[in-house]
Amino acid sequence: MQQYIKIIAWILTISILSGCSKFLDRPQENKGQQTKIDYTNLSNMYQPVSGVYRTASSGSFARWIIVTMINVRSDDSEPGNDDAGQNSIHHFQNDVTVKSYWGVNDMWINLYGVVLAANSALAELDEFGKNIPASDAANTQLLARYRAEVRFFRALAHYYIGRYWGAVPILGLESNNPFNLAGAKKSSIEDVKKYVIAEMDTCIASLEDARPNEAAHMGGVTKYTALTLKAKAAMDLAGNTPSSPYWDIVLDCTNQIINSHKFSLFNDYYNLWKKAGKLSNEALLEFQYSDFGNPTGDIVTSGANPGERWANFFLFQGPQNTRSNVITGSGWMVPADTVVGFLNKRDDSVRMRTTIQYCGINGDPNTYAVTPDGDTVSGNSSGKKYFNGKAYYPIKDMTPGRVDYYGANNNVHMLRYADVLLMNAEAKIRKGQSGDAEINEVRARVKLAPLAGATLDQVLEERHAEFICEWWGERFNDLLRTDNAATELKYLGFQKGTSEYLPIPQAQEDVNSNLK
Amino acid sequence: MKRTLTYVLVSFLFLFLGIHLSAQAQNRVITGKVANDKNEPLVGASVVVKNRPSTGTTTSGSGTFSLTVSSTDDSLVISAIGYGRQTIAIANDLQVRLSTTSSPMEQVVVIGYGTQKRADLTAPITTVNTENMLKRTTATPMEALQGSVPGVQVVSAGAPGKSPDVRVRGVGSFNNESPLYVVDGMFVNDISFLNPNDIAEMSVLKDASGAAIYGVRAANGVVLITTKKGTLNMRTKVTYNGYVGFQTPTHRLKMANGKEYLAFSLGRQSAADSGTALLSSQKFGGSGLNPTTSTDWYDKLLRSKALITNNGIDLQGGSDKVTYSAGINYTYQNGIMEAQNSFKRYNIRLQMEAKAYSWLKVGFTAHLNNSTTFNAASNAFSQAYTASPLFPVYDSANTNAYPIKFASGAVIGRNDDANPVATAYYNYDRVKAFQVLPTIYAEAGFWNNKITFRTQLSQLYSSLSDIQFTPRYNLGPGANDNAVTHLNSTQERNTNYIVDNLLTYRDGKGPHHWTLLLGQSTREDRWRKTSVSADGVPSIEESWYVSQGTVTYPPTEDGTRNANISYFTRGTYDFDNKYLLTATFRADGSSKYQTKWGYFPSVGLGWVLSREDFMKDQKLFDFLKLRGSWGKLGNDGVAPNAGYAIVNQGNNFSAIFGSTAGANGQYVPGYTINRFFTQLSWEVVTEWDGGIDFEVLNRRLKGSVDYYNRKTKGTALNAPLPFSYGSLYGNWADMVNSGFDVVLNWSDKIGKLGYQIGGNFSTVKNKVTSLGNTPRITSGFPEWTAEFPNRSVVGQPINYFYGYQFIGVYQTQEEIDKDDIAKKYNQTAATKIVPGFPKYKDQNGNGVLDEGDRVNMGSYIPKITYGFNLGLDYKNFDLSIAFQGVAGNKILNLNRGKLYKASTSLNIDEKFANGLWTGPGSTNSYPSAYALGQGWFKVSNSFFVESGAYLRVQNIQLGYNFNVGKTSPIALRVFATADRPFIFTKYNGFTPEINVNNSFGYSVYGYDANVYPISATYSLGVRATF
Repeated sequence: MQQYIKIIAWILTISILSGCSKFLDRPQENKGQQTKIDYTNLSNMYQPVSGVYRTASSGSFARWIIVTMINVRSDDSEPGNDDAGQNSIHHFQNDVTVKSYWGVNDMWINLYGVVLAANSALAELDEFGKNIPASDAANTQLLARYRAEVRFFRALAHYYIGRYWGAVPILGLESNNPFNLAGAKKSSIEDVKKYVIAEMDTCIASLEDARPNEAAHMGGVTKYTALTLKAKAAMDLAGNTPSSPYWDIVLDCTNQIINSHKFSLFNDYYNLWKKAGKLSNEALLEFQYSDFGNPTGDIVTSGANPGERWANFFLFQGPQNTRSNVITGSGWMVPADTVVGFLNKRDDSVRMRTTIQYCGINGDPNTYAVTPDGDTVSGNSSGKKYFNGKAYYPIKDMTPGRVDYYGANNNVHMLRYADVLLMNAEAKIRKGQSGDAEINEVRARVKLAPLAGATLDQVLEERHAEFICEWWGERFNDLLRTDNAATELKYLGFQKGTSEYLPIPQAQEDVNSNLK
Repeated sequence: MKRTLTYVLVSFLFLFLGIHLSAQAQNRVITGKVANDKNEPLVGASVVVKNRPSTGTTTSGSGTFSLTVSSTDDSLVISAIGYGRQTIAIANDLQVRLSTTSSPMEQVVVIGYGTQKRADLTAPITTVNTENMLKRTTATPMEALQGSVPGVQVVSAGAPGKSPDVRVRGVGSFNNESPLYVVDGMFVNDISFLNPNDIAEMSVLKDASGAAIYGVRAANGVVLITTKKGTLNMRTKVTYNGYVGFQTPTHRLKMANGKEYLAFSLGRQSAADSGTALLSSQKFGGSGLNPTTSTDWYDKLLRSKALITNNGIDLQGGSDKVTYSAGINYTYQNGIMEAQNSFKRYNIRLQMEAKAYSWLKVGFTAHLNNSTTFNAASNAFSQAYTASPLFPVYDSANTNAYPIKFASGAVIGRNDDANPVATAYYNYDRVKAFQVLPTIYAEAGFWNNKITFRTQLSQLYSSLSDIQFTPRYNLGPGANDNAVTHLNSTQERNTNYIVDNLLTYRDGKGPHHWTLLLGQSTREDRWRKTSVSADGVPSIEESWYVSQGTVTYPPTEDGTRNANISYFTRGTYDFDNKYLLTATFRADGSSKYQTKWGYFPSVGLGWVLSREDFMKDQKLFDFLKLRGSWGKLGNDGVAPNAGYAIVNQGNNFSAIFGSTAGANGQYVPGYTINRFFTQLSWEVVTEWDGGIDFEVLNRRLKGSVDYYNRKTKGTALNAPLPFSYGSLYGNWADMVNSGFDVVLNWSDKIGKLGYQIGGNFSTVKNKVTSLGNTPRITSGFPEWTAEFPNRSVVGQPINYFYGYQFIGVYQTQEEIDKDDIAKKYNQTAATKIVPGFPKYKDQNGNGVLDEGDRVNMGSYIPKITYGFNLGLDYKNFDLSIAFQGVAGNKILNLNRGKLYKASTSLNIDEKFANGLWTGPGSTNSYPSAYALGQGWFKVSNSFFVESGAYLRVQNIQLGYNFNVGKTSPIALRVFATADRPFIFTKYNGFTPEINVNNSFGYSVYGYDANVYPISATYSLGVRATF
């Protein structure tokens, strides 16, 4: 009988011991808990902001396919490959084949990724904010500044999404609840731009009054970055109407930047795109990357993670070079012959030398060309004659021994002072004032003779030349807002009324019928 | 002192003798021999006195027994697993023949936490014929079951050491289709570590009545495995099993050769393609647009014959108190890739059980495994699929290349083509693993063993060390350069345990029999992985430690921990073995969910009609039983859910600031929050099963038919989030799987020729019944979800392929001019539709190809899975053939689909290349080469959806049995086997068996991205028993 008692005792003991509730109720391993973040430690308050900067710079704006999607909608660049989706978009097709093209969906997702990350970070900053006593003016101010930096990126993403799809949803803090996403409704083209302007108005007051390369976090967003974005949104809204009050906004914003006397053009247009041009006094927004000066190992590129080698901004635009293991890539985004013609016609030799690099002689695979920095580049099987010099990074600038990531340790320029000057000039000319001083400042840097009494056409041409083959779609946007796209891009298939915007990706319509 | 001791000893001896003598007075010893119907001695058969089951023995190695019986006993019950039970009057020198043709209904079947007689089952439990299983020369046991268990679909994998996918009764869950494997009481996810020879018994529990006792783990079915054990009073039995053979790639998909590729690529009319042709001629022979190079990359990568061998020796035996068994096995399988690519495994099995007291048994079993796998470069085959045949393997003019002068595709403008042979050559990936699976238990029996209490501790310790080393190499221009060596070292460990406590009560009175089981189980699984890497490590193996190089990446670690507590009970009752009832209940608590506890009841009923009086006079049915069951099952294959917002921090979530002309910049610590989470609860399957078991025509025809209906409620799945590649994990869907499982076996003799024909099939109908508030869920193969989506809507099968219906090819311009869709498209398209372009069906008839024209293009779930086999034996020879196949499923051929994203001409398979449209009337099933490159072709369409039906000759074996020696002869069997020699399928891929893809963190089914050739195995083997 004693045995039975013993056994029953054992069963009970084991059951009770194992029935301990803690045994089942434990958080998952290796998954950091938001609730364990110490929001009272205000020295960590910048961390969610840094996370947003990283989201915006790696795997988003400068991700290869997004750069491609923006770039092919222009007469400056050709896809440089026979990917049907890119070629259709280059020819402003807008049908079911483009709607199903993965690149369109990828760009949508990764640009909205910045919006979602920003909204998430704003909720985090609110948590820190709850721990700032009303008397703590310094931290209150910091919180406002950090919120403004995050909201800048949220607006920047909306701005580019709106540029490429027209009427799109604006996602605010409600997007932090995933159940709200499938019901998001579109806002009109104008409303998206107005939203950007309103957001910038809120941000400008709280942001640092400093040049980005003097910011507390060097290269971070400052008041002037926000003013630039506001000016750009206003310029789009002003359209081709000289009387539009939005020109006043453009003028006001750009005047503030110019009159701060903090900015100047980097004196060497060619080297602006090389190591020497990183975070110069011209930079209003640069995506910063680094290989930390090491030949191998940790690296930050425009790929979503270091392993995403292909997503590296420089690699896919690199020439198909059989003369070097370092300067080599997929040879995409080829400057069009028209670019060479255009720059030649203007005698724009500095911009020509900067933008147009040669692949051998006329692209012949058995020949090679030498770059201004002394690197040899061969021709290729497709006979592509050029590659984009603005995405060319010479061996001499690369970290010695770094061979696996072409372009490592270079930044990607997004907003720069030259744009401010030219927007200022255009606004002045539109309003009947003289824009000569600003336009000539830009021309002087590239050794072009000054203009007297510059016209609207001249400033638009200068914009074309200054931003030629750059990645953020200035050329196409200029044609669109000045209503010149239908004539200038007709040969590529542009049709007024249907070609202005990309179709909303099929995959997105399928999960949210409000997008139809 | 010494004297006292002697005295005591002598007293004891007398006492003992006295008892013994007094017993002798009433009892007598009988002897006998048990043999099978071929008159071969049966080892380990049980011999017990009728009505006194505690008195008994088992037969020795020569089939003999001796037993002390009392004068009041009248008969003995003799039984052995796989043989009919016989009751025979007690006599001296008994000669008993047990027949396999007698009813298998007397078999004892292993069920969850116990055993039951087959005749008393209320559940469709299939016991696996381990004899037939051993005929297959597979490295993993489950692969050997392919096509032989109705309702169980096995999808085999090609790579050495890789486990197959196993599905029981369709797809009940998105998360994990694999059944639960229970090896000697331990839960494991996969049994590829077991040597098929170690398995004594294997049962597959398919319905709720059988499986619900495993509660939360049971939804996908349960496979119970008992490994070999010795029996009491058994002469040592030694078995040697071995085979040696070779694997050879079979049904190899032929890629287009140089000429075919050239025709296809030039047909695309791009500058790059003609440039490639010209450069290939210039550099590697030929002239102009007619290069002569034609590299068959698969041919260069494949071995024509790869060795496979397996050798095992096994001992079983037992004395009157102790039983034991031990086995050792060695398996070697060379990979079919011409590279360092192989699998080697040692298995050791030890088992011992001792009757410590008359009421207490203690024992242990232990499985030890040691394996070394050299993984081949998995991407080499996919590179071989797409690489242009217009460049050779080696190129002496490739001046930069070292140490080997491999050719580079870049020199002919194929920058995206890797050299697959180089990839295979520079790959070194060695996984050394060991696993220990010890189980210790104690079982006490009371009240004439009517009550037993068993407590068992099962553990699993495994550890894995993966060394990946990349030497210094250069592949020449335009290709990766690896200027420094790179080492990646990964350690993984699993530490799992289960503690089970079982109290069983078994009793009966008159025609009433009942059992009651009470149980409690505690389980914990832990996994941890550490990965470190370094550059510049010396290339000698002894130096492959990160401290020998430069550590350039931070180490990474990951881990999981899941805990479970369960309480369960089962009661069975039968009246006169005629009316049967089984009821089970299990409560499971899991740490994986926010809703911790789940409750799983089941009821099973059976009626043995053949025991009814009104059936007595009929001759047709020897046995007839009706069964019915209902129950709930849980699935914890669901990924654990945090149920809270997750912080991502570290360098990958921190931005760089201050990267200037003069400074490298540095991280400013950052984090991001993934706040898209849900609270997860149980995925619960409610299953009905109705079945009939029968034996007719003198037990020559046996079979069973089952209908099942499984409703899964709250299926946990990832619903894609708008605006994101992310998805939200939650209990989103309800679905139903229903169908029939049918098995039939006929065996008979014509003179000396014995023959047996068996077949089985199961049908599955899968239907989504609810998606909550979501109208539809779209998903697909990651990175291809935009091009080749699948979707789920109510009323359709889960995750069906979704897109436009490819209905042919535009043959002439007139046809295009008359076609609304083409006309409309050509108005705006830069690349117009011309003859040779694919034609899609305008489903909604609105004259435009739009989203409304997309339809269900088919499901990956086979409507029917079947297998059949044929066995012949004549004198000492036997021959068996097993077939298996599936029908009614579709495969999305993603290998062909790769063309979609390709910006250059990837190579394509030969059939595709030769089938391309070349002019009006040439073909209506393939577009032109030009069309392949154009946007019009690049919409999700049924061109890429192919039938996945196949019939495969799974196994052919010819055997010869003979004995060597007269006294204690050695029973020998020699056999020749062909595994997977033939397949009949129309599918345009390496194999229509598409494994689940889990590499993206969730399961994706039916998309064929496999480029690993399947091999047939031809072998010779021998089995010796003495």
